[in-house]
Amino acid sequence: MNAVIGIFIKGFIIQQITLGLASFCTWVERKGSALIQDRVGANRAGTNFFVGDLLKTDVLVLQPLSFLARNIVLRPAFAVFRFLGSIGVINTLLNDAFKALFKEDFVPEGTSVFMHALGPFMAVFPVFLAFAVIPIAPDVTLFDTTIRFQVAEISTGVLFLLAMGSIAVYGVVLAGWTGNNKFSLLGALRASAQMISYELAMGIVFATIVLHFGTFDLYQIIEMQSGSILNWGVFFMFPTGFLCFLILFVVGMAETKRGPFDLPESESELVAGYFTEYSGMKFLLFWLGEFAEIALFSIVLSVFFFGGWNIPFLELPEGAWWAALIGHGVFMGKVLAFSVLQITIRWTLPRFRYDQLMSLGWKMLLPLSIVNLIVAAAWKLVS
Amino acid sequence: MSLPLIVLGALLIASALGVVLAQNPIHSALCLVVNLVGVACVFAALDAHFLAMVQIIVYAGAIMVLVIFVLMLLTIKEEERRLAGLFQLIGAGCMGAFFVVVVSREALQQFPVEQRTGESVVGSVEAVGRLLYTNYLLPFEAAGILIMAALVGAAMLAKTSYPRSGDATSSGSAIEGEGK
Amino acid sequence: MIEMDYSAHYIILSVILFTIGAIGFVVRRNAIVAFMCLEIMLNAVNIAFVALSRRVGNLDGEIAVFFVMVVAAAEAAVGLAIIISVFRNLQSTETTDASQLRL
Repeated sequence: MNAVIGIFIKGFIIQQITLGLASFCTWVERKGSALIQDRVGANRAGTNFFVGDLLKTDVLVLQPLSFLARNIVLRPAFAVFRFLGSIGVINTLLNDAFKALFKEDFVPEGTSVFMHALGPFMAVFPVFLAFAVIPIAPDVTLFDTTIRFQVAEISTGVLFLLAMGSIAVYGVVLAGWTGNNKFSLLGALRASAQMISYELAMGIVFATIVLHFGTFDLYQIIEMQSGSILNWGVFFMFPTGFLCFLILFVVGMAETKRGPFDLPESESELVAGYFTEYSGMKFLLFWLGEFAEIALFSIVLSVFFFGGWNIPFLELPEGAWWAALIGHGVFMGKVLAFSVLQITIRWTLPRFRYDQLMSLGWKMLLPLSIVNLIVAAAWKLVS
Repeated sequence: MSLPLIVLGALLIASALGVVLAQNPIHSALCLVVNLVGVACVFAALDAHFLAMVQIIVYAGAIMVLVIFVLMLLTIKEEERRLAGLFQLIGAGCMGAFFVVVVSREALQQFPVEQRTGESVVGSVEAVGRLLYTNYLLPFEAAGILIMAALVGAAMLAKTSYPRSGDATSSGSAIEGEGK
Repeated sequence: MIEMDYSAHYIILSVILFTIGAIGFVVRRNAIVAFMCLEIMLNAVNIAFVALSRRVGNLDGEIAVFFVMVVAAAEAAVGLAIIISVFRNLQSTETTDASQLRL
């Protein structure tokens, strides 16, 4: 019973972290794109909250409030609100969500409502499920019990990530098919072909990583990278580790269907690709899934190649709660850095042509990853 | 009976019936996806961790995506309800029920529910991998050749036109072959 | 905790699934749905393999399942390619329409 409750609590925490990372990515996307395109970006919503204004307009409500409540609670709260609004957080997280919630839920003619709703669900579900195998902080020993911050402590974590990646295609395919529309269908065809093509290189890169670390357990993979910075995955069996990192980074950009690889939703050819026929919260769910995928790939990169929560040349004491907290902070810092990098690339590079996309996947990344695997295997055999 | 067996069994039988009874092939395909993921859960319940993951990656992630891809490409109409005649259906049902009863009786006699003895084997990646690369190395290599042959065969079959000698332009759209 | 062995029940589940798949294979006319029923039958056999492998106490059954999966993947690729080329000629995936021994 205790184990079940523990899993629920851990699941809740990891869910919150996922949503937080996705929200952060949304905000970086809004403000970062503005920065890159030399715009101001979202900065209006929430900036008009002054206590004095409220007192003038809504006397009846606020007059009973004592001086203390006004000055200690409201004034700082409104100041924070104004600050968040001025940097665009209120706009991206609160206003957009409410706008999406109150929009009409449009279902195209000729498709069943259930299948139409299944599309965004299947786009989000595997991504969130993949977070279950990710350890987010080092073990903590509290009251003689060791807590591991990982929902599913399975020994085949790497394979689970791969499995969830392969299931993610369904959301796209269902969305395109239930759109009942040429644009959606074309977008879905492009997306599924792209995802399946790049999955091959991803699988072989995962095989190389497993070959190096000798385990499928993500927690053990992170533990093996502790100590010197040379233990980090990027530096293993140079240059194979670094090549793995590069390939996985490109594959991650393609799997999230973003950046230069956003052909499935290319707005100049297909209105919005596979989610053309979605509106309101369902439309937002696709974006949520996309941003959660960015966060997931950033996590995978920092787990496999940048040591997770390990700080180079600094050993944190095992089992202490504050060490776990610091480790978690470091981990999330790496993840956020990768997310920002991915979003920057998405707003910097122009889109590929479809044949370029396919030849990159099949003629460059796949042979490169296979050669990389063979070199890594030979290296392992020799050393 | 154990709880996972009851839950998974109900899910598996319901989704299998869904595959057979759904009018729209896409609905059948989605029911089959549920069925395959359920089978993966059965594997996990039976300590076959490697197979559970491979089941999801290969079946749900590759084969069924290919099937749904083809269904979407071909835009098949819903099948009109012209299953076999009533008499044939009843006959098939009776044969099936008979088969189930006979095999079930035999299974219950041969493998009675009893306390487990001895070491329980766990189909971890390491254990299965070791067996694959030692005792079953030759079949494993043969499987690789089989996959290669299937890949080439599928690409050839799905091509629209075969390039003749001197006809350099017709490369054929092998998108189905590429999808796999 | 006493662990019981339920392999007989897993085999019964497998037989039920196999029967459903077999009946579906016979009854349905759409070639792709028939193909999917075939997958159900293969999976049913896989469940029996894994259950018995656990009962016997070695992993040979699981290796068999692995090879069944390999064959199923190859079969899916070739089978769907054949269905596509039949569809191209007949504009149909009904098995009854492909009644002539030529395309």
